[in-house]
Formats: sequence, C-alpha cells, structure tokens
Amino acid sequence: MEEMKITNVLFAGVGGQGILTSGRLVALAALHAGLDVKMSEVHGMAQRGGNVDVHVRLGPVVPSSLIPRGGAHYLVSFEKLEALRYLDYLRADGVVYVNRLEIPPLATSLKKGASYVADIDKVLEEKAPTLVWVDGTELARQLGDPRMVNVILIGALSTRFKELKAEDWEAAIKERFPKPKVTESVLAGFRRGVEYVAA
Amino acid sequence: MARGAYEAGCGFGSGYPGTPSTEILEYLHPYPSVHTQWGTNEKVGLEVGMGAVLAGVRTIVTMKHVGLNVAADPFFSSSYMGVNGGLVVVSADDPGMHSSQNEQDNRWLAKAAKVLCVEPADPDECCWMAREAFELSERFDSPVLFRMTTRVCHQTGVVNLSEPRAVAVKGYTPNIRKYIVLPAHARELRHVVERRLQGASAFANESDRWNPIFPGSPDIGVVTSGVSFGYVREALPEASILKIGFSNPVPLERIGRFALGVKRLVVVEETDPYLEEHIRAAGIPVEGIKHRPYAGELNLTLVEQALRGKPRERVTVSLKDLNLPVRPPTLCPGCGHRPLFKVLRDLKVHVMGDIGCYTLGALKPLNAMETCMDMGASIGMTEGLDRFGGEGVAGNTVAVIGDSTFYHSGITPLLDMVVNGSRATVIILDNGITAMTGSQPHAGTGLNVHGEKAPRVPAADVCRGVGVKRVVEVNAYDMAALERVIREELAADEVSAIVVQAPCVLTFKVTFGPAVALDASICDRCGACIRVGCMALRERDGYPEVNVDLCNGCGVCVQVCTAGALSLAAAKAA
Repeated sequence: MEEMKITNVLFAGVGGQGILTSGRLVALAALHAGLDVKMSEVHGMAQRGGNVDVHVRLGPVVPSSLIPRGGAHYLVSFEKLEALRYLDYLRADGVVYVNRLEIPPLATSLKKGASYVADIDKVLEEKAPTLVWVDGTELARQLGDPRMVNVILIGALSTRFKELKAEDWEAAIKERFPKPKVTESVLAGFRRGVEYVAA
Repeated sequence: MARGAYEAGCGFGSGYPGTPSTEILEYLHPYPSVHTQWGTNEKVGLEVGMGAVLAGVRTIVTMKHVGLNVAADPFFSSSYMGVNGGLVVVSADDPGMHSSQNEQDNRWLAKAAKVLCVEPADPDECCWMAREAFELSERFDSPVLFRMTTRVCHQTGVVNLSEPRAVAVKGYTPNIRKYIVLPAHARELRHVVERRLQGASAFANESDRWNPIFPGSPDIGVVTSGVSFGYVREALPEASILKIGFSNPVPLERIGRFALGVKRLVVVEETDPYLEEHIRAAGIPVEGIKHRPYAGELNLTLVEQALRGKPRERVTVSLKDLNLPVRPPTLCPGCGHRPLFKVLRDLKVHVMGDIGCYTLGALKPLNAMETCMDMGASIGMTEGLDRFGGEGVAGNTVAVIGDSTFYHSGITPLLDMVVNGSRATVIILDNGITAMTGSQPHAGTGLNVHGEKAPRVPAADVCRGVGVKRVVEVNAYDMAALERVIREELAADEVSAIVVQAPCVLTFKVTFGPAVALDASICDRCGACIRVGCMALRERDGYPEVNVDLCNGCGVCVQVCTAGALSLAAAKAA
C-alpha cells in the first residue's frame, strides 16, 4: 500500500529563536483548514543554545508525529548551519527556506574545535533541491522587532503551501496572538514574508 | 493530561519537575478546581498525594521515569493499601535519553508493584485515558501507573474535550487493616492485590476501548503500544493491529486470540521487550526485538525496516562528506555557574557533580566535573571518595549540587556527612529556581506553582539546621572570593557548605550592565576569555569578538583577562 497523504514541515534552528511558535502556527492553521495535525517538539535543553527541531505533519489522518529522513516537503531553517544539518530530511522534490543568519556554535571558537562551514551559501545552494533565501533577520529589524523572524519565515513558506489558504494562516495568527495590537504587527510580519518571496 | 485529570474531577496535583513530565502540573494549576503544588521531591509528592487519596480526593502525581525510583517506596506500598479517591501516577519515560541519565521502561515497575499500567499513544489518548484512569483506579482499588514517553509528552495534536465530571469527595474513614501495612495486614493485603490483578486482567482481556483491534490482512498481526502505534499504522497500513493501551496486567488471552487469526505475530514497542517477553512466556510464537535496535527511540524508518524488511525508499541529499560542527546546549551568557567551574578547574579539585543545568560544566571547555549519577549523589559520593581516595583526593574533593537538587535529595547526605565526621566540602549553587526543567519554584524560591508568594527556606539555614558549622555564602561573580573561600573550606577539618549565590539569568532576566568592551591594542590573544565558554564571545583571528546582543555584562571574562584588554568600560563610565 502507498504511503499516507501527509504534508511534512520541519523547522530547524537554535534554541531561543521562536521555532516552537512557528510550528504552533502551522498546526493551528491546519486545524482551521479541518485537517488532522501532529507536531513533535524538543524541550528541556532547547533554551540553552542547542540545535532545535520541530516536526509538523498535516493531512486527512496523521498517525505519527515524526518526519522520516527524506520525508519533509518543506524545511524552514532559522540559521544556515542548521539548514545544512537537517537537509537530508528534505524530499528530492522538497523546498528549503533559509534565513540569512550565521550563528557559529561555541565549538568553532575553541582551539581544537571544528570550524563553521566554509562557503556555506554555496554548499547549501549546491545540495538543496530547491532553496529560497529569506532575509528574515534583516526584515525583522526593519519591522522593529527581531522576534518577527518566525512569522516572516511562515509568510514565505505560505506562498507555496497549497494545503493551507490565506484565511487559515490569518486565523492561526489571530488565535495565537489574540491581542489586537499584537495580531496586527504579527500579520504585518507575515505579509512581509509573503511579499519578500513574491518580489 | 492536565485536561483529562480536570475532566475526571481530580482535586489534587502533585509531583516534581522532570523532563518530559514537567508541563502537566504547569497546565493543571490554572484550573481552580484542582489544588496543585510542587513536591520537594517525587517521594514526598506521592506521599502527600496518598494523604489526599485517603481523604477521597482524586489525585495525580507526576514525575519523570527516574523520579519513580525516588518515589518507589511509597509507590510499592500504596499498591497494597489501594485507594479511596483515585490515584494516577505519571511516569514520563525517556527512550533515547534526550534529557535523562538512563533508558528505563517503567512498565516493569508497574508489574513489580502489582499496579495497573496504561499507555497513551497521542495527545487525544492522554486526555481520555487520564480521565478514565481515575475510574480504573477506584474500580480496581489500585494506583494506576500512567506510562508516557518523550514523543507522547512533547507532541501537539487534536484533542476531543469532554465536560468535567462532578465527583463527590468521599471523605476519610480510618481503616487500619487497609492503611497500616504492617506484616500481619500486608499478608492479607497480598491476596487482595492478587485478586485485584485477576479482576483487572479479565477487564483488560475484554476491553475494546483500552486494547482495540484494527482488522487487516491475516498475513501479519502487530501488537503495539504507545507512540509506536502511529509508526505501525504508517509503515504497514494493511497489517492487523492489536493496540495495547492497558499494559499491566498484559491482556495475554486477548493477544492469544488475536494471534490465532494471523500467520505471523510481531510486537513493535519502544524501550524494553516488555510485551514480547510476556507473550513468549505465555507460549505464543512471536517476533519483536530481533527486528529493531535494543536501545533508543523508534521511528517510521525503523518500523518500516522491522515490518517490511527494508524501509521505503526516500531519495534525499547525502551529508556524509560534510563534517558539521555540533551544537550542544551550553550555559547561558552570564550564568553564575560558569565562574565557579572556572575556579574549580584552576584549583584542580575533584568535582562530584549532580543533576541540573550545571551538569553542562562537565562539557568543553570547562571540563570541571568528574561524576554525575543521580539526584543528590554528589554529596554522598564526595563523603565516600574523600574518606577513601587517599593522597590528592582526600581533602581535595568537592560536591557541586544545585539548590533544587539539594532540597530534593541533598539534605540527608549532608546530615550523613556531619554525623559521620566527614571533613568534605559541599558547594550549593543557589540560583533560586529549578532551572533546567524550565524555571519551576522550589523551597528556596519563595513562590508557589501559581507564582504567588510562599514561605522561603534558604539553603544556608538548612545546612546549619542539619549541623554544619562552617556555612559560607559567596557571590558567584566574585571569582577571587570564590577561590579564597574554596581553599579555606577544603583545608578545614570539618564539613563545610559553601552557598554560591547567583540568580538564574534566564529565569529572572538578569542584566548586569552594558556589554564587555575589548581594547585590541593590549590584547595578547592568550585565549583565556574564550576558554570560559561563553556564547557571547567568539574567537576571530585570535581576538575575542563580543556579541553585544548576547553579552549581559557579567564580567567573568574580564576577571580572567590578565592583559586587561577586556573591560566593563561603559559600565564604569556610567
């Protein structure tokens, strides 16, 4: 029998970047669209600067919560090295969204430690089936709130995401950020992400 | 879990923080109908819970898998006593050891204690199974062990809600033959326990709700439980499946009947081959662990391998040729544990460690810890090693323990040091919070689970109370004082306790001042600042580069800079 019809989105990054919130927004949008959804997240050590991944799976029926290697339709990374680390989760026809940001791990500063990947932009572009760069950190700075990176990335992701419509994303944002002022600024961040990849 | 307990009319929630169980009480305490509190440790949490159970209140007690080891004594005896109000004990097991010291399958503890055990597969099951577990507990007069795993605990999914049940509190009636487990009573209760297990077994064998069958091909029948169920559904949708949600007593008759209808019987379960060994012992031919790794978590690929012979082909890129730098968790910038570990490493003392954020002090570049066993072990191990370690070890070994861990399990070993004439030194890291599990209050915080003001018992007072005469409190960020105090207390010929004070920078959002500044003209590029291992400092061309967004001006790197190139200049000017 064939594999079930499930769309897989993997978020990756460094603890503290707002990765969990991104996963929640996709899950809420899926709920609004009437889909089943499961999400798996890493806690505990996540706040201490380690790498973090959040798996989100949506479809008519979703039995399990972990994406297999080679199973992700979309990979959204908040940092370049983490995009590379999780790139083998992407399907051959998958798309990776990479925030233009480098956070060197502590190990790269210690004398016998490893170094950050040289020419990482080129390595990513060569390896990834389809790669979309997002200037999320810079756009968030322009919007006056560095925490906006996650919704900017979600906005960018939403442009190719046929399973979910604009109204689903908006409903998710309104539910997650119910205070009217916050809703507005988060929606603005989301739309900035949409416009960025459309441009 | 919290919602299910609420819907069941649960009136009391207790436990001790431990990944991945912590969030249950954090989501339970906002329900006004449930009195919720953190226990000082899991044993105390369960004992307080048993008091509430005797009062006829439905009670949930939460902990991680190793927490049940701490609570094992009351857990085993509560089995003989049974319940009045229902009792659900949550054990969050951690296959793959994401944040634990071992991989322990607590279904064995349910079996050993002779209590009922249930296992949810996803969030919706967590809710209804929690709700129904209280009914089971009261029906079979038994505590129910609610066995969860990391991927169930940290999963988000769609949950069907029910209205909360109105449950009358039964009230307390003394019953010494039930509640005093002295030998004469316990011998009678032993038979009560056996009859209970027989009754529960008959229920489990007939329950379509707890142990549902998903009909499929007769070629292969899969017995599975917990999170593995989802992997089985996806790996082999055509398989016949018997999903075990009620796993002690194991419903062997039901499994036997299921086995008769299939050509091959395979068990897919996470951690130990618990169901498999029961099935095999019942004389039913079965396969299982030979198709999967004996350690670690399962996933879709591994279950495909087990059930299909090989995983489904998924084309992806290869990262084999890339040697990517790892990104382990580290102490936060400005963390008060960092200066202590730097001093301890320079003093070349042996450090018996304990369990918390500060265990990260064992990693590069601090490398300042030699052991980590279980909660509170640092103190007892220091007493033993200091007494028997001989030259270079005796008088040169310290225990390093966090404040929450000290309240949890450090007080009795410290008393042990005092009464047995130890001369060793105990260092308590007082950051005011249970930090690693996500900032839960403890006895030294002065707040309760709701964040309201509560009585505070300072660690130094506890040390004096158990008879330690040399109790010294020192500011973590004064490295010269730290070094002097540690030297003095190591030399002292009696037990010493050093309380190192530094409020958790993450929890209390501590900022010391503007970021550190570098005068590159006098930097001799010795690298000492880099070797304190702070994320806010990275090396570039031999020089430290300060990340001003991360640096909170704690000044530890300034203190280790011998050339005087780093400074809190901006702070001084202010």
